[in-house]
Amino acid sequence: MAKRITIDPITRIEGHLRIDVEVDNNAVSNAWASCTMWRGIEKILRGRDPRDAWLFTQRFCGVCTTVHAMASVRAVEDALKLEIPLNAQYIRNLILIAHALHDHIVHFYQLSALDWVDILQIPKADPAATAKLAESLSPWTRNSRNEFKAAQDRVNAVASSGQLGIFMNGYWGHPAMRLSPEVNLLAFTHYIEALEYQRKALQVVGILGSKTPHIQNLTVGGVANAIDLDSASALNMDRLEMIRVLLSDVVQFINEVYLVDVCAVAAMYPEWFKIGKGVTNYMAVPDLPLDSSGTTYDLPGGTIMNGNIGGVHPYKTAGDKDFRDAVSEDVTHAYYQSGKPLHPWVGETEPAFTGWDGEQKYSWVKAPRFNGQPMQVGPLAQVLIGYAQGHPLTRKHANLAIGKIEAVSGNKVTPDMLHSTLGRHAARAIRASMLAELAQKHLQLLTDNIAKGDYTVHNQPVFPEHEIEGVGTHEAPRGTLSHWIVVKDAKIKNYQAVVPSTWNASPRDAAGAHGPYEASLLHTPLARPEEPLEVLRTVHSFDPCMACACHTFDPSGRQIAKVKVL
Amino acid sequence: MKKILIGGIGNVLLGDDGIGPYVARLLDAHYEFESGVEIADLGTPALDLIDQLNGKDAVILIDSIDTGVDAGTVVLYRKADIMRHSPAVRMDPHSPALVDALLSAELFGVAPAEVLLVGIKGESFEVGCSLSQPARASLEEAIAEVLNELDRLGVGYRWREHPAELGVWWATNARVEPALAT
Repeated sequence: MAKRITIDPITRIEGHLRIDVEVDNNAVSNAWASCTMWRGIEKILRGRDPRDAWLFTQRFCGVCTTVHAMASVRAVEDALKLEIPLNAQYIRNLILIAHALHDHIVHFYQLSALDWVDILQIPKADPAATAKLAESLSPWTRNSRNEFKAAQDRVNAVASSGQLGIFMNGYWGHPAMRLSPEVNLLAFTHYIEALEYQRKALQVVGILGSKTPHIQNLTVGGVANAIDLDSASALNMDRLEMIRVLLSDVVQFINEVYLVDVCAVAAMYPEWFKIGKGVTNYMAVPDLPLDSSGTTYDLPGGTIMNGNIGGVHPYKTAGDKDFRDAVSEDVTHAYYQSGKPLHPWVGETEPAFTGWDGEQKYSWVKAPRFNGQPMQVGPLAQVLIGYAQGHPLTRKHANLAIGKIEAVSGNKVTPDMLHSTLGRHAARAIRASMLAELAQKHLQLLTDNIAKGDYTVHNQPVFPEHEIEGVGTHEAPRGTLSHWIVVKDAKIKNYQAVVPSTWNASPRDAAGAHGPYEASLLHTPLARPEEPLEVLRTVHSFDPCMACACHTFDPSGRQIAKVKVL
Repeated sequence: MKKILIGGIGNVLLGDDGIGPYVARLLDAHYEFESGVEIADLGTPALDLIDQLNGKDAVILIDSIDTGVDAGTVVLYRKADIMRHSPAVRMDPHSPALVDALLSAELFGVAPAEVLLVGIKGESFEVGCSLSQPARASLEEAIAEVLNELDRLGVGYRWREHPAELGVWWATNARVEPALAT
């Protein structure tokens, strides 16, 4: 008899991601992903000045601020066919890269590492043995016995205080936790160190964007940064040097710590290369433009259907016709008034809440489809699509990571094994190391262009009276983001944001096809269904973000996820 | 010099949830603070909030609350009040994270010694960019609580004769220059 398990985080006044699974013989036999909160913030934009839209879209989500700002200005620029000065492209690219590096580090260490690392094992570790192991894996100079001992003391202090603090509610001692005490201590120590480096990445965003978490320097047509080598308050060589120093620290952390830790965890949980496959249609959009009209990019895009890596279809531009014509949103199983799937430019957001019903409607997330097919987006999609196209930077970093996993585990790793929960983590680390290299490249491009005497940062937008449409895309940390805008008389007529987590958290569509989270959970073995750690591992590997919401503090403390077993 | 963060938390697109950022902007426009004080509109951070708390001596946060009091009521919470809650099992790892961020910062040894949360009970959290009447009526009290805390911490501030620009861009749609091609 199948058991039904619901994982429903009760957060604040409205909920977020809810996962329901049916478990049969200790394996997942059916799954539903739902968002328990109504988004519909796009409506607020209608009638407003398109030049202000990015300020509002930046508030869609408290985590993905920068990416929504960027997609918005790009949507308006696409509608106007407006070119962007080189300096502005480079500055935007640097902000996007620094934001992504911060996001990827935070995702692995703060949000997912503890799915794999068992805090309870740390007191048993030998710091000297940990240091020896660490030295065999990486040249990172902070991998010292003293550093590991200090981290272990921190855990011991928490354990002996009886106040578990942040460690409350973890699945410690779960049978699916299998790292040695030393590897647990190693990863935990880096979890503490990560804090410094994620912060440095954020400082780069702050220097260029003038503020975090909400950057201030964007404008339709470019950026508002003043470039003046003789002014202390403008972007000058001193600031560029500060950015260079910050980036070099972050780059070193990514290559010597983050990438290595992911490879080490991957090597020790090899079965997770076989779990979490799900939807093997992948999509990514090209990003990090290298010219003002957006014809060449440092990150490639395209699609892969049915896991057929050899049949990759590349996108030439960020707003490729093959992308813009193919997107629609299905609401068969979403809490909206039913109708046929609609393209985002004519998209509607009319709520029709019914309550959760797995056979009928069960989510506030629409089901975005690409030519009618569900698509997985995110770093894995980007890495596979780049790899399939023979993109040199992707190949270089992917081969490096695969070699490292093979060296630690002694097992062969093929690109095909990346269709998995661990594959998503590995791909995110690979993408981070690619971005780390690109950060330095784009800083050099910006510095060289300024040194040539080009201080231009902005082209003036001019709006026609007739109706125009645009799509702004960004390959964000969680995958393909697209903002769709319709402008008439210089006012916003319609606006839709199709966010990465909408693609991945999509409910079933009219044909009954699962979205990526749902599909990836099927057949997952659960050691203890009442403690569904394995479900968390796979869902977390996508880096879900439904946070585009209220942050009201609930003093009653009702914040524990409810795990209900029926 | 003490490092102090005064941070408004909330989503400015969701009615009274925007009161935290609104109060932060009011303080910034009407008062000057001694150096070391940073005023920020933090929006709706998740665990990124750790980075904002990191290394501060004291933090004053202003946020909407949802508890059994009348709309517009201001309730104060201290660090211990917030930290006695347990962190969430994170299905969606980016969901709101004041409790988790503070607990993590404490583990890492970078948490501020003093935390005050000035909570304001909201009336409506529907999509929209304006505050309800009860929320609006509580602004003065919320500001007074922030200033009281600064007094208690021995941090100096003074009223600006000429207020700076308020910068509450979300509550207006004021573009002065024409955007249409002529």
